[in-house]
Amino acid sequence: MSAVRDQEWTGRDVTIGQIDRALAELRSDAMDLRTSVLTHVAWAPPEWQDAARETLAGMAELHPSRTLLLFPQEDGRDAIDADLSLECYTLAELERHVCSEVIELRLHGRVAQAPASVILPLVLPDLPVFLRWRGQPPFGEPVFEQLVNVVDRLVVDSREWREAPGCYTSLAEIFDRVAVSDIVWARTLRWRRAIAELDSAANARRLRVRGPLQEASLLAGWLRSRLDRAIELDHAAADRIELIELDAREVLAREERPSPSELLSGELDRFSRDPVYEAAASAAL
Amino acid sequence: MFVIYGASGDLTRRKLFPALYALAYRRMLPERFAVLGSARSPMTSEDFRKGMEEAVRAHARVEFKQEVWDELAQSTYYVSTEFEDDEGGDRVAEKLKELDHEHGTEGNRLFYLAVPPVAIAMLVHEIGDRRTGEGWARLVVEKPFGLDLASARRLNHEILRHFRENEVFRIDHYLGKETVQNMLALRFANGIFEPLWTRQFVDHVQITVAEAIGIEGRAAFYEKLGASRDVFQNHLLQLVAITAMEPPIDFDADAVRNEKAKVLRAMEVDAVVRGQYGPGYVEGQMVPGYREEEGVDPESTTETYLAAKLRIDTWRWADTPFYVRTGKRLPRRETTIAIHFKRVPQSLFAHADGLRPNVLAIHVQPDEGVSLGIGAKVPGQGMTVRTVNMDFLYGGAFRTGLPEAYERLILDAMRGDPTLFTRADEIEEQWRIVDSFLVRWADQVPDFPNYDAGTWGPVEGDEVLHRDGRSWGRH
Repeated sequence: MSAVRDQEWTGRDVTIGQIDRALAELRSDAMDLRTSVLTHVAWAPPEWQDAARETLAGMAELHPSRTLLLFPQEDGRDAIDADLSLECYTLAELERHVCSEVIELRLHGRVAQAPASVILPLVLPDLPVFLRWRGQPPFGEPVFEQLVNVVDRLVVDSREWREAPGCYTSLAEIFDRVAVSDIVWARTLRWRRAIAELDSAANARRLRVRGPLQEASLLAGWLRSRLDRAIELDHAAADRIELIELDAREVLAREERPSPSELLSGELDRFSRDPVYEAAASAAL
Repeated sequence: MFVIYGASGDLTRRKLFPALYALAYRRMLPERFAVLGSARSPMTSEDFRKGMEEAVRAHARVEFKQEVWDELAQSTYYVSTEFEDDEGGDRVAEKLKELDHEHGTEGNRLFYLAVPPVAIAMLVHEIGDRRTGEGWARLVVEKPFGLDLASARRLNHEILRHFRENEVFRIDHYLGKETVQNMLALRFANGIFEPLWTRQFVDHVQITVAEAIGIEGRAAFYEKLGASRDVFQNHLLQLVAITAMEPPIDFDADAVRNEKAKVLRAMEVDAVVRGQYGPGYVEGQMVPGYREEEGVDPESTTETYLAAKLRIDTWRWADTPFYVRTGKRLPRRETTIAIHFKRVPQSLFAHADGLRPNVLAIHVQPDEGVSLGIGAKVPGQGMTVRTVNMDFLYGGAFRTGLPEAYERLILDAMRGDPTLFTRADEIEEQWRIVDSFLVRWADQVPDFPNYDAGTWGPVEGDEVLHRDGRSWGRH
């Protein structure tokens, strides 16, 4: 497939009805087929906006979807500003093309306190809704709670949190309400595979990790929950995992450097709860 | 001659005149044609034309062209009258005679009653008494048609004293929507759907008529009606009838209406719940609860939400529930008919959490079109399957604006084609269904409000499906 054209529309201080109509107009100009597998919502406070846009680049081809980028704005104006675009791809040997929609909404003032009421009219019919929350979620606060209540899966990256691993306890409290993915957990996959292949893993007592605290905590939580016993964690900070030792024996894993888009893409293929992750996060502290 | 009673009202301004203008724009009005508006408000024909020009500029679907409007305006008149007053009736009759002469309309009349329900019987009587037998006469009656079975029967009786059934056009504007008519095309013009349209393949059907708006200043009207009379009794039950009806022998008005009437006769309510919205957020804005709306009784027990499980006792639909819901201040404006097909008998795929049974959704509004949820393999290694929605977008395919429901229905009424209008027996069956629970509700005091504005209604509405191991689709 190759992208053929982008249609765009911008509106300031708009209603959801205007957004709906603008989308319909963009579509009528560009396509008669829309193929979608999900609605992807991303909540990105100002410091995360560029990263959110970057991660999305190329995602539509992998996961045809409607993407809603929510950018809360802290100002006095109660309003919604919107940028809409269509990303279209030609289908091999067909004249028609398939399009995905990207809806970028800047939520001003009190509107930013009621984001669920903004996304509910815009989610695609009968398809799962994934919420990627950039940064540390404000657990227990209405903005976060209302979004969690209307989506099927929450995707976080606990490396973005200021208070990890303490926040894993708060995260564990929502496991019964929404399926959760943590991109940090995906990053530990190659290490978990390597540890599981060790004969001595079943008797492990001590884990040493030089790497981000979140990865270290989840790996320790994983071992604790799988082996059902205490595992001592010896952690030294680093930007990425540089060394793992299990009972003083170095663990070697195949080198993999997935991009942020690939990591998110992997999480968008999951639908049900991940009980192994949930147990690991619950035992991370 | 197109005669509008209630010509100073909202319906005339927002729907009827914009529709007449759109028909004029498309050159679909007869050459010999005139409009006479009549209402209590004192004004001249010139005032009326000015008001309607503004209405057309604000609400017409097609671009405003001065020459098109001028031509329509030249044939537009107004008579101020008290409906209870015999003299007023005479004044209208005299004006009609005069306009017949001027415009060559030969006594042909289409009377459009855009008036409150209480005024209908009286107007029918006045119009009926003055019928001369010259030309044809057609009567278009807006909903609600009565307030219960007894009043609907009385009204039918009164109307049928003066008009024959084929002269009566009980309007339900949902039937004028292109996508509702497309349901007939989808079912009966495609060999692949109709064979599956039975209890053997369909698990259940869900129909949602949702509005994000509140009562928009119409407290006096809505307090008397509620969701059961405003939407369920007419739009929703008609959508069920069109979805469930047997193929008619042809598209003759009576052939279609016979099939709808059969469905309605076979329909019973297995469960019904009601709700009323409290304050909440809709589309990012805080909105008041129903009881805080201007003109609403602070203790009002009028329902703004209704969900029901309907049973259709026919060979085609036995044991196949139709779940329907309607409400105000729901998260979005949407009308969808969703056919939920049965699961495959055995799942062969280990990685299929993302796979759901097929759903064929007919989106009546907005996003008019049809979408089919199908299971597809995720590209790559392994055999992971998930549901993909294939959307057919109506506007995109035909590259033409969809006509407003009122354009289609006004034209059909002028042509004398009642296919898309509700017949007396359908109306009475619809009221029979509604009366079956309204009588019970009258003896109960509901615990209102029971849902927040901006949500999908009360928990009880979800439980109607949960009890059967199902849930509302996210349409």
